[in-house]
Amino acid sequence: MLVFPGFTFISLLTLVCDWVERKMEARMQNRMGPTYTGKAGILQPFADFTKLLAKEDIVPRDSKKIFFKFAPIIAFSIFTFAIFFMPIDGANVLTNSSFEGDLVFVLSLVLIANFFLFLSGWASTNPYSVIGATRVLTQFLGYDIPLFILALAPAFLANSLSFSAIASAQNIPFAILIPWAFILFIATLQAELEKDPFDIPHAETEIVGGYETEYSGRRLAFLKLAKDTQIVLGAAIAVELYLGGPYGPVLFGLPELSYALWFIVKVLFVVLITEYLTCVFARLRIDQVVVGNWKVLLPLSIVSLMLTIAVVVFSQLMGQGMM
Amino acid sequence: MSEKEQEILQKLREELGDRIIQVQTTRNEKLLIQVKIGAHKDAIRKLLNEDRNAGVSAITGVDLGDVISIMYHIRVHGDVITIKVEVPKENAKTTTICDIIPGADFHEREVSDLFGVTFEGHPNPKRLILPDDWPQNIFPLRKDVETANLVSTLDSRKSLYNEKNVAKGENVKIVFGPQHPALIEPEMFSLEVNGEIVKRVEPRIGYVHRGIEKATEQRTYLQNIYLVERICGICNACHAACFCQTVEEIIGLNIPARAKYLRTIILELNRIHSHMLLLGHAGTEIGYETFFHYMWRDREPIMDVVEMLTGNRVLASFITIGGVRRDIDEKMIPKIKEKLAILKNKLPFYKNLFENDPTIKMRTRNVGILSRKDALKLCVVGPVARGSGVKMDVRKDEPYAAYGEIPFNMVTYDDGDSWARLMVRLDEISEGLDIIEYALENLPSGPYRVRAPRVVPAGEAIDRVEAPRGELFYYIKSNNTAYPERVKVRTPTLANIRSFVNIAEGSNIADIPASLVSLDPCFSCTDR
Amino acid sequence: MLKEVLSHIFREPATRKYPEVRPEIPEGFRGRQVFDVSLCISCGLCARDCPAKAIEMVDVEGKKRPLFHLDRCIFCYQCAESCPRNAIKSSKIFELASTDKSELVVEPKSGRGN
Repeated sequence: MLVFPGFTFISLLTLVCDWVERKMEARMQNRMGPTYTGKAGILQPFADFTKLLAKEDIVPRDSKKIFFKFAPIIAFSIFTFAIFFMPIDGANVLTNSSFEGDLVFVLSLVLIANFFLFLSGWASTNPYSVIGATRVLTQFLGYDIPLFILALAPAFLANSLSFSAIASAQNIPFAILIPWAFILFIATLQAELEKDPFDIPHAETEIVGGYETEYSGRRLAFLKLAKDTQIVLGAAIAVELYLGGPYGPVLFGLPELSYALWFIVKVLFVVLITEYLTCVFARLRIDQVVVGNWKVLLPLSIVSLMLTIAVVVFSQLMGQGMM
Repeated sequence: MSEKEQEILQKLREELGDRIIQVQTTRNEKLLIQVKIGAHKDAIRKLLNEDRNAGVSAITGVDLGDVISIMYHIRVHGDVITIKVEVPKENAKTTTICDIIPGADFHEREVSDLFGVTFEGHPNPKRLILPDDWPQNIFPLRKDVETANLVSTLDSRKSLYNEKNVAKGENVKIVFGPQHPALIEPEMFSLEVNGEIVKRVEPRIGYVHRGIEKATEQRTYLQNIYLVERICGICNACHAACFCQTVEEIIGLNIPARAKYLRTIILELNRIHSHMLLLGHAGTEIGYETFFHYMWRDREPIMDVVEMLTGNRVLASFITIGGVRRDIDEKMIPKIKEKLAILKNKLPFYKNLFENDPTIKMRTRNVGILSRKDALKLCVVGPVARGSGVKMDVRKDEPYAAYGEIPFNMVTYDDGDSWARLMVRLDEISEGLDIIEYALENLPSGPYRVRAPRVVPAGEAIDRVEAPRGELFYYIKSNNTAYPERVKVRTPTLANIRSFVNIAEGSNIADIPASLVSLDPCFSCTDR
Repeated sequence: MLKEVLSHIFREPATRKYPEVRPEIPEGFRGRQVFDVSLCISCGLCARDCPAKAIEMVDVEGKKRPLFHLDRCIFCYQCAESCPRNAIKSSKIFELASTDKSELVVEPKSGRGN
């Protein structure tokens, strides 16, 4: 349980997703990406993590030390904990851990973890970190609402609020049944994961490092790992809700192994889509992001939810009518 | 002297009467009018009223023994007219002209720093180039200060940043620089922000001051070419060209036609590579990494061409006094044309991107607006001025090298925002490619160099070159030895950086990198 | 832009895998100096004209010959221009970084440089 699908598996998946991201971004930008560490640079994320662990860890004198020291680790743990509720090999990671309503539970965990990321910026009393932290909050609180609404659309289709139920109810992936909700969900996911065009909280060229500015050494390693785990978590949510979870045709071997393979493939697919969107857009300003949320994304997500409910009601009526 | 200048001189004589002491003309027909102390303000006011586009090009100080000569170089009708005032060294003060033309701000502060001249009435008489803890009574560019003695005098130093002014009320003070990922070279802009709106900007330059103007006085003219080339890595050919042109004016040397065309080619290559570098850098500033990588990949053919021509990718070291240092091989020309054609094919993609990409438009349109009136008042030069609708280009106003014979267009946009300034540069890339093609087609035959004497006769000269960032201005005074008496360099960013204060105040923090990068600041040039 | 980015995934990268793949250097490249002592007439013009004062005239077998200090050199090749006998030429060697300063000289030995 600890190894697969557990903590080790998730950490390795995080590192592999990081490598895929960097290599893809590099190829899209017509350059090579990590090449020298290991074959085709596969060990690069691992090397980065290990290097940071070995560096000096400086805690600013005027910061609120408790929050500064523990906020990144708590954020990382919450993200990892949330992944444990995703069905990966046909069942849940923690046995009997799925319950009705765990969709809402997991999304709330994401909210709390992001709040800890905000705290880590707020606790380092550096103007750059403070601005980055407030931007995290502004962006996140805004985009969380469309995220919830768009996550409810598959729940309506599957008639349940549990990830495993939604995942197994998808004979045809919901991305094909309600494509409008999938596209909007991917756009909201870009904002959640703080990637271009919603890259503002850690906009390098404006506020140095955003909330990461004062961190160094192993705390920075954990902060980066927390961000990468957030990416895997976001991709996993998208996979479970819209792409049919780990289920796919069993090609060979044990069903569990095959399901795990499909899960990894689908997560990488979502990661590739988000990375492609990162490469083709520039970064927006915070006021443009806020306007984009409240004036564009929120109304569109409400409309898409209503459309989805209409589809559900229509198909139920059709089913009753046919019978 | 052209007719217009005759007219202007006549008007000045009427206005000032006997306050004009002397009128000289340099060999390339630039007027130097010496007036009595206190009369300069009226003379400058008269000159500025002559032309809508007039402005201060530079303010030079020269140490002449017991007087310090302050020269105000005013751009009028595309030409430079100089008003000279001599103040005694013991009592070096004169009135400021910042109230009639705010763009003279930084130029006066520099002369005050380096020569010890007090400009009475200056709105902000702080140190510009020298560090804050430099001793008060040492003025480096005066002749009695020897650089060898300075080392022991400057031994004990405190910290450089002066933390006295604190933001008032609810404004937070953020320091942008000197070390910042957005800046490739260190300068400090302290911003007072309220939420996300910037209320006040205070630039502090001088972090990369190397004392090059003083160093040129200790090296021969030939060695100085390489020294001034290294004032800026990106626009190195322009510095070398301007220096050599000015020295050639003093000597009275005419360079062969082939050398003029070759100089034009290398100058245009320099311009193209600099603009592409800047556009890529602008991409990073607005978060568009992909654009940056594509732009710099497409810049590689230019670097290869420069390497073929000069032996080095960036620092050309191609231009020397009397012509150019090497000839272009006939076999190279088809290869050069091939490489330039690769770049030319990519340009429509970038033009399309700038005109149609939604995120670029959101970040650069109506961002960092500099109105035409402000642009003229602050005496900005180069693409910053042309992006605000001011028609100013040294290649058209006063053609040098082969620009008088090669047809090309001056690119202006009227919007005045960051987008316009970036578009000016993008269009200048395609103009540059056309100029190089024409020059390669019509390269005259003949020698590429003439011998220049090592000892330059006494005299002074002024010359200007259009660097990628704007008008580059050189004033050289020689004294019949192998070493120059005074070399004054006024780089385009020094003229442009003052406009950043007007652009940034009132904008968002997020717009600061985008607007700063559209000014194309090159701080090594600014500080020398 | 969208299509352009996608198409790049299938293209070869524009970067080279240095140091396994070497760049091609054109003729006339300004690399490390190659000094031919048989042509030198000990005039000292190279040392006089060097902008970076990187050439030191040292005594070799009774005559003054130039010693090039590569850590000061700016590779402008004013020395090659000033030399009346064309004794200084360039090479295509540019990988000159070293952790030992004593390697960064081109000595006026008979025949070739260091």
